Amino acid sequence: MLDYAFMQRAFWAGALIGSIAPIIGVFLMLRRQALMADTLSHVSLAGVALGAVLGWNPAVAGFVAAILGGLLIEQLRRSYRAYSEVPVAIVMTSGLALAVVLMSLRSNLSQSFSAYLFGSIVAVSDTQLVLMAGVALLGAMYFIVLRRPLYSLTFDEETARISGIPVTWLSFSFAVFTGMAVAAAIPIVGVLLVSSLIVLPASLALRLARGFAAAIMIAVASGLTGIFSGLTASYYLDMPPGGTIALILLLFLLAGIAGQKVRGWMARKNGRRATRPERDNGEFISMPAKDGESLSLE
Amino acid sequence: MILSSLENVVFGYSDKPVIDGVSLEIHAGEFVGITGPNGAAKTTLLKLLLGLLKPWSGSVRINEEVLVDSRLNVGYVPQQVAAFNSGFPSRVLELVKSGCYPRLGLFRRFGAEERQIVERSLKQVGMWEHRDRKIGELSGGQKQRICIARALAGQPRVLVLDEPTTGMDQQSRQGFYQLLRHMTDQHGLTVIMVTHGPEEAETYLDRIISLEQQESEEWQCLTTRSCSVRFGPAL
Repeated sequence: MLDYAFMQRAFWAGALIGSIAPIIGVFLMLRRQALMADTLSHVSLAGVALGAVLGWNPAVAGFVAAILGGLLIEQLRRSYRAYSEVPVAIVMTSGLALAVVLMSLRSNLSQSFSAYLFGSIVAVSDTQLVLMAGVALLGAMYFIVLRRPLYSLTFDEETARISGIPVTWLSFSFAVFTGMAVAAAIPIVGVLLVSSLIVLPASLALRLARGFAAAIMIAVASGLTGIFSGLTASYYLDMPPGGTIALILLLFLLAGIAGQKVRGWMARKNGRRATRPERDNGEFISMPAKDGESLSLE
Repeated sequence: MILSSLENVVFGYSDKPVIDGVSLEIHAGEFVGITGPNGAAKTTLLKLLLGLLKPWSGSVRINEEVLVDSRLNVGYVPQQVAAFNSGFPSRVLELVKSGCYPRLGLFRRFGAEERQIVERSLKQVGMWEHRDRKIGELSGGQKQRICIARALAGQPRVLVLDEPTTGMDQQSRQGFYQLLRHMTDQHGLTVIMVTHGPEEAETYLDRIISLEQQESEEWQCLTTRSCSVRFGPAL
């Protein structure tokens, strides 16, 4: 299978996007913006259609549209602070409506749109691979350098702002980066399934992980495993790669949920106390400024 | 030293003022309680004091001596524990460590000193034994405690607490007020605490600022009561 150059490119593309998309997913889900990837993919489709109508490079137009869509969602989020899902719904319906209208203007293009709708990882070009590598590299730097403020921002925006974190700048930069990642992921799984790479591994990680770093690692590991096994299965079973990858990621999630249920059932059966809040019985202690103790932290 | 002061401040949301003509001063090293009924704009007053909201009119002054890198070094414990992201995949220790992040910036290593600070903060709120638990597994009172530990881990000059004792039993509340009194006396911390029940904290507070409604339905800081001899009333 890996003797074929197109499969090598497919695995490279999968590895690159599979390293970044699940991390974005963890942050999006914790910020109650799970549908943002889906929305940006529809906006990207509108950009592709606009590019085709105006004679611009459709891929570049789709890329720029996804970034602008991310910025628009973030701007609207500031107007609907209590309803973070509303901006996502507004931009998603607007993007889809625009795409449908623009596509109708050039009916002969509907065939080529199927490539954007469903994607084809085995048809990834060298240019797309380079673009994906650029986005993945940028993403790695972004998440490594800004891991601390991103954690604080995701946990509690208000406290983050008070502690001096540039919340607005960070939120907008995250929206821009999400748009870039979505646009780069579309050639792999297409517009319709792009959010599967972002949401499904993160959903599994949030169920299983006990810590934030563990959640990121579980999301990336399950995302990469899903992509590689999906590519392999689609090659040998002659199935569409995008759909196969998404179904495998869904299977992982269902297996994770089932595993948790079984573990809870076993714990109850064995008479052990299931995880539940305990009474707080520790006392507040006034301590000297420096106690000179030898302290150790894991 | 005056840490922050409001002078004849008017502020509101939409077109309706909620605070009208408030003037007060917060001194460095003071333990102040802000009280008033529900909807009395107590949280708004806090945010004005911290310079997070711009008043419609009047002035807010923050002493430059307490600014670190041109920002006030504030530890903040938010009002609603319910807003606490229970599904957040984080251990107690991870969350409290994040209190050190503003001080460490992007690149400075989390070293032995920070480990000590985090351990001390968790021990001060009686949550050290729970350090490896997932935050979603904690009770409301425990969540409040780790939010306090997180704020203390930032080694703030000013600690701002918005109804911090919600979910705590009476014994815990007394222990908590003692801790805050100790932090002001021994560590020079300034504590501003919004509270619904200032009576039980009165022994520990330097001053109580009460927000009361005017006939025009706007809120004004009409009375401040000195609880100790350390600071005089601001009005």
